[in-house]
Order: sequence, then structure tokens, then C-alpha cells
Amino acid sequence: MAPPDDIEDLDPGLARERTRLAWTRTAIAFAAVGGAILKTSVAAGLIVAALSLVIWGLSRIIPDAGAGGRPRQLLLVAITVIAVSIVALGVVLLGSR
Amino acid sequence: MEDDDPPGDPAADGTPSGEPEPDARFTFANERTFLAWQRTALAFVVAGLAIVQLLPPFPGVPWGRHVLGVPLIALGAVIAGTGYRQWAHSQQALRRGEPLPRSVLPQILAVTITGMAIVAAIVLLLSAILPR
Repeated sequence: MAPPDDIEDLDPGLARERTRLAWTRTAIAFAAVGGAILKTSVAAGLIVAALSLVIWGLSRIIPDAGAGGRPRQLLLVAITVIAVSIVALGVVLLGSR
Repeated sequence: MEDDDPPGDPAADGTPSGEPEPDARFTFANERTFLAWQRTALAFVVAGLAIVQLLPPFPGVPWGRHVLGVPLIALGAVIAGTGYRQWAHSQQALRRGEPLPRSVLPQILAVTITGMAIVAAIVLLLSAILPR
């Protein structure tokens, strides 16, 4: 019997696994931004770094809604990134001197 | 329709009732693309922070670091918001079996990076020309 052309026809769970890894990478990216902000503002840096746990938790606590996506969670991630950008702008414009 | 969808808001995420859910693998792939754009946005934020905080001041151009760093951080916010909009549009197209919408994010990236490269070159030239 010939193997399927797409490995995921054999194991669709790989898509779920890759998505979980993508969430983990995103959480690590938040931690990196927090570390960068720490240099100027310890409080802001710690808050942003703590957000990495929230992002990581979003992918773990909420059941995978593979059939329909999770718009609220993704919107929360986007809003969080925008908020981090605003914090970074504040740090750069107000805290660097 | 799943529980996570906001009720009565089909425009926000493209989830009008009655439309079939797409293949889960497509939904996962769309989600991973969204997350990749969010990481790209965060990378721009870190780059902007690093330019302002880590680079030594440009001789003769004291505002040079901010001119380079602030737009990068702002671009991070733009990419984050546009990335979510792109995800919603793609999800809607997947549900309806329509062709995926064209993303504007690569164009935004290309134009902004080109612009920033030009600005960086100008700042460096000014730094070399202007008296300290």
C-alpha cells in the first residue's frame, strides 16, 4: 500500500502540534521583548515578560478549537502585541534620557 | 459554530452562522500564519528598542537613533493589527470556500524596510558629514 502524499493524511495531529509549537515560540518572543524593556524600565519589562506566560497559557488552557479557530484568543494576542508596542514607544520616548 | 466565536459579530471573524467549518488543518495553518506575523511584529519592537537603547549615539545626529527606532516599533503595532485582520479575512474565505484574500502585509513590510534602509543611510551620511 502506497503512503499518502501528505503525511497529515496519515496523522492530522501534526498540524495541531505545529500550532502548539508556534504558540510556544510566540510566548518566547514576548519574553524576549520583556527582557529588552527590562534594560530601561524594570516594572514594564517584568509585566511584558509575564505576558509570555499568559500567551503560553492561552494555547494550553483553552481546548484546541481546530474546527473553527479561536477568534477571541487571537484578538487578545494582537491587542497584547499592540499594547507592548505602545509600552515600548513610551520607554523609548520617555525613559531613555 | 463553536463556543469561542463571538455571537452576532460576523464581520469580526467571519463566522456567520450556517456556514460550514473548514478543514481543521487549514484553520491551524491560518492560525500559525497569524502567530508568525505577531512574532514578526514583536521582532520589530525589539529591533526598535535595541537601536535606541544599545546603539551609541550617532556623532552629530543626536536624534538619529530615535528616527530609526520609533518607526520600527510603530510598524510592530501596525503588523499586529493588520495580522489579525488578515487572519479574520482568510478564515472567512476558508469557510465560504472562496479564494484566499491577498495579504497587504508583505507590501507593508517591503515598503517600510526599504524606507528604513534609506533613512538609515541618510542618518549615517549626516553623521559622517556634520560636525560633532
